[in-house]
Amino acid sequence: MMLSVVLFFLFFSLFLYVLLAGADFGAGIIELFSSRNQQEKTKKTVYRVMGPIWEANHIWIIILIVILWVAFPVYYQIFVVYLHIPITLMLLGITMRGLAFIFRHYDAVKGKSQVWYNGMFKIASVVTPFFLGMIFGGLVGGNIQLFEEGTNQSFADIYIKGWLNPFSILVGLFYVTLCGFIAANFLIGEADENNELENYRKKASVATIVLVFFGFLILGYGYWKEVAFIQDFIHNPISIIAISLSALFLIPLWMMIKRKQKTWTRVLAGFQVFFVIAAAMTVHFPHIIITSTKEFSILEGVAPNSVITSLGVALLIGGAIILPGLFHLMRSFQLIKLFKK
Amino acid sequence: MENLEAARLQMALTLIFHIVFACIGMVMPFFMVISHYKWLKTKDEIYLKLTKAWQKGVAIFFVTGAVSGTALSFELGLLWPGFMEHAGPIIGMPFSLEGAAFFVEAIALGFYLYGWNKLPEKFHWFTGVIIGISGVLSGILVVAANSWMNAPSGFDYKDGVFSNIDPIKAMLNEAWFTQALHMTLAAFVATGFAVAGIHAYQIYKGRNKPLHKKAFHIAISFAAVAAILQPISGDLSAKDIAERQPAKLAALEAHYETKKGAPLYIGGIVDEEKREVNYKIEIPNALSFLAFGDFDAEVKGLNDFPIEDQPPVAIVHYAFQIMVGIGTLLALAGLLYFLSAKWKHWRVKKRFWLFFTLLTPLGFIALEAGWIVTEVGRQPWIIHNVMRTKDAVTPMPGIFYSLITYSFIYVLLTFVVSWLMIRQINALNNEE
Ligand code: HDD
Ligand code: HEM
Ligand code: HEM
Repeated sequence: MMLSVVLFFLFFSLFLYVLLAGADFGAGIIELFSSRNQQEKTKKTVYRVMGPIWEANHIWIIILIVILWVAFPVYYQIFVVYLHIPITLMLLGITMRGLAFIFRHYDAVKGKSQVWYNGMFKIASVVTPFFLGMIFGGLVGGNIQLFEEGTNQSFADIYIKGWLNPFSILVGLFYVTLCGFIAANFLIGEADENNELENYRKKASVATIVLVFFGFLILGYGYWKEVAFIQDFIHNPISIIAISLSALFLIPLWMMIKRKQKTWTRVLAGFQVFFVIAAAMTVHFPHIIITSTKEFSILEGVAPNSVITSLGVALLIGGAIILPGLFHLMRSFQLIKLFKK
Repeated sequence: MENLEAARLQMALTLIFHIVFACIGMVMPFFMVISHYKWLKTKDEIYLKLTKAWQKGVAIFFVTGAVSGTALSFELGLLWPGFMEHAGPIIGMPFSLEGAAFFVEAIALGFYLYGWNKLPEKFHWFTGVIIGISGVLSGILVVAANSWMNAPSGFDYKDGVFSNIDPIKAMLNEAWFTQALHMTLAAFVATGFAVAGIHAYQIYKGRNKPLHKKAFHIAISFAAVAAILQPISGDLSAKDIAERQPAKLAALEAHYETKKGAPLYIGGIVDEEKREVNYKIEIPNALSFLAFGDFDAEVKGLNDFPIEDQPPVAIVHYAFQIMVGIGTLLALAGLLYFLSAKWKHWRVKKRFWLFFTLLTPLGFIALEAGWIVTEVGRQPWIIHNVMRTKDAVTPMPGIFYSLITYSFIYVLLTFVVSWLMIRQINALNNEE
């Protein structure tokens, strides 16, 4: 029973991290692909609307990782040992990005150094989600070779090939595009003037097309190379339903974008993310690590009951305090403005 | 360099940085809300300016704290998977509550930073108070996790298997209270003297005096109270480890021979080869008294521990001397400040401000030294008497390269954040 509470919070934080941090990464990506004039505007708009929840957005990954290590230690162990390198690279991305964010908004002197901060911010905004995507690609791609006593595996076999391969790269690119997609749809509701709006609308359309393209590429590549995860994906009815729903929901999304409907574009873009995650997670649940020889269930070696119970209680209490607070924060700074307009 | 050494160094390096950001992020909000309160009460514009300046500092350090903390929460697993596999579930309680506390802090920060002129005045101020309280709470909770490594409890351990896990008991282990108390005081001492010192320097230089004086008094009041309490709390910690981690106590006192009525060494050069301490000042029977409250109590020396269970002595002993030395000095400085409230003419003297300027880095030096005592003094154990550090390290070779990368980034970060702070202070002075 408490295990389901813990699992719920695990996926809930995953979803919110992918969505909220994704919107934040995506904002940097959109900046990267905008004209100079639009870059300044995007930066201002993003700071205005996302500033208040900026810190909160990035805590979801901490909650996620704490739940993993407390409740699913065996799973966590494989994750950190075999994907050490991309995790480190992602952390460097997070660090650089956080720093750039501070500099561009809090430097007392607004001078030439801003160019550097902006550059660092934009690059880190692409690199971080790219490695995040690669990490997920590595987890499910079936390329991780477990260490075996007595064989002559090289360093690269164990610690590099698992995540540095075409499949993971595709997943990385997919997530980068997804971030751009989320941010563009999110910003549509916030643009102050017409050419800013036009910019986001264009970005949203391009991102959608590229996203669908990468989606098919991943499926195609996986089918061709017989990646177990994709094979199962294709044969799993729930995944197929989820992904078809996400395709179907693109239609109302486009209609809402046309009508500049703020709330609905956001909700529908959120649906997209939800369906993509749901599709990916149900394929193999509970086997969320697929190595070249073996599949690991997240429930394998789950922590003892006493731990799960206390973690579940802590999460419920924490959630009861945090979620209303977060909601109130978002309402105070965002939706209220939305009603006013 | 060996993998284990590289991993240890990387852990030490990242924590040494994180603790600075974390402590500032924990204590600055208190200064900020006091100044804010005075602004609301007196409507003196200077307090408003100060509040806004400190608020920027809080925001900057919160983000650096958050970023370095995120890296740390992965690093525990990346570097010590063997430790986290077993310890993760046991000490999960403080960490998950800590996550909740961070969250509350981040939400409150969102309200506070962006709430000027938008939220009701009192509610806005109160969100600032929440930032401070949840910051201190998260500090206490991580330290509870750390103290568990010193005083493991809440599980049964037999033949490498951990069973009967009780996360609540693990969190409320025997060391948590003394450590959390000492750490919280330390955060106030270190940040307080640092902030006060920076403003004292500006006063010494004669820049924007009205503002810097107000800032100085707020910061130093917290610091002085904490500094006077700190030695008392340190004595509690020492009595604690005398009971639970006798090898650590022996290392921090560089006490080799088991003795009744053991003397206390002040200073001295440790010769680890010959296992003796030269050039020290000896106070007879003082160690026995400090450790057990009895001048004749027996204190076990390092020579009576198996060699493989002994921590490095020199580092621990020097670090301890530094901490206690600075602790004594800062407690006196705290007293001096309170006395200067009576003898106001001291505060006109330039020497007074120079003195507090010179104290700026000392609190943080003591804080880092204290952590070195705790962490190196626990060696060779990662979990005291349960798991050795060498058994916990990651099997992945090449941590050395990771260490290089982290060192580079963190050194860069230090320079850049200091540079930012200097620009903030200059901006503040130029506005005058
Ligand atoms: C401003 C910082 C500061 C100052 C002035 C002091 N300490 Fe300290 N000390 C710390 C900052 C610190 C610390 C960094 O916060 C530690 C590391 C772990 C902990 O809980 O606190 C610590 C640990 C620590 C320990 C080891 C506890 C353990 O391993 O469980 C002892 C025995 C003392 N201290 C004793 C003292 C004494 C007798 C002081 C007398 C003046 C003193 N400290 C001043
Ligand atoms: C004595 C040691 C530590 C203390 C006192 C401490 C305290 C704090 C505090 C007060 C913050 C809030 C930052 C701010 O307000 O600026 C923070 C941030 C953080 N710390 Fe530490 N910490 C310590 C060690 C650790 C360790 C070992 C970990 C890793 C497991 C960790 C993980 C984090 C994380 C993830 C954050 C970011 C949370 C956020 O986004 O706000 N800390 N720490
Ligand atoms: C912020 C203050 C801290 C500092 C400056 C610090 C410093 C250090 C140092 C110097 C080492 C290396 C010891 C050696 O190998 O000789 C170390 C190791 C370690 N520390 Fe800390 N530490 C701090 C707080 C914490 C906290 C709060 C935790 C956990 C909750 C923690 C967990 C560890 C672990 C897991 C290791 C590696 C294993 C070991 O060497 O025992 N530390 N730390």
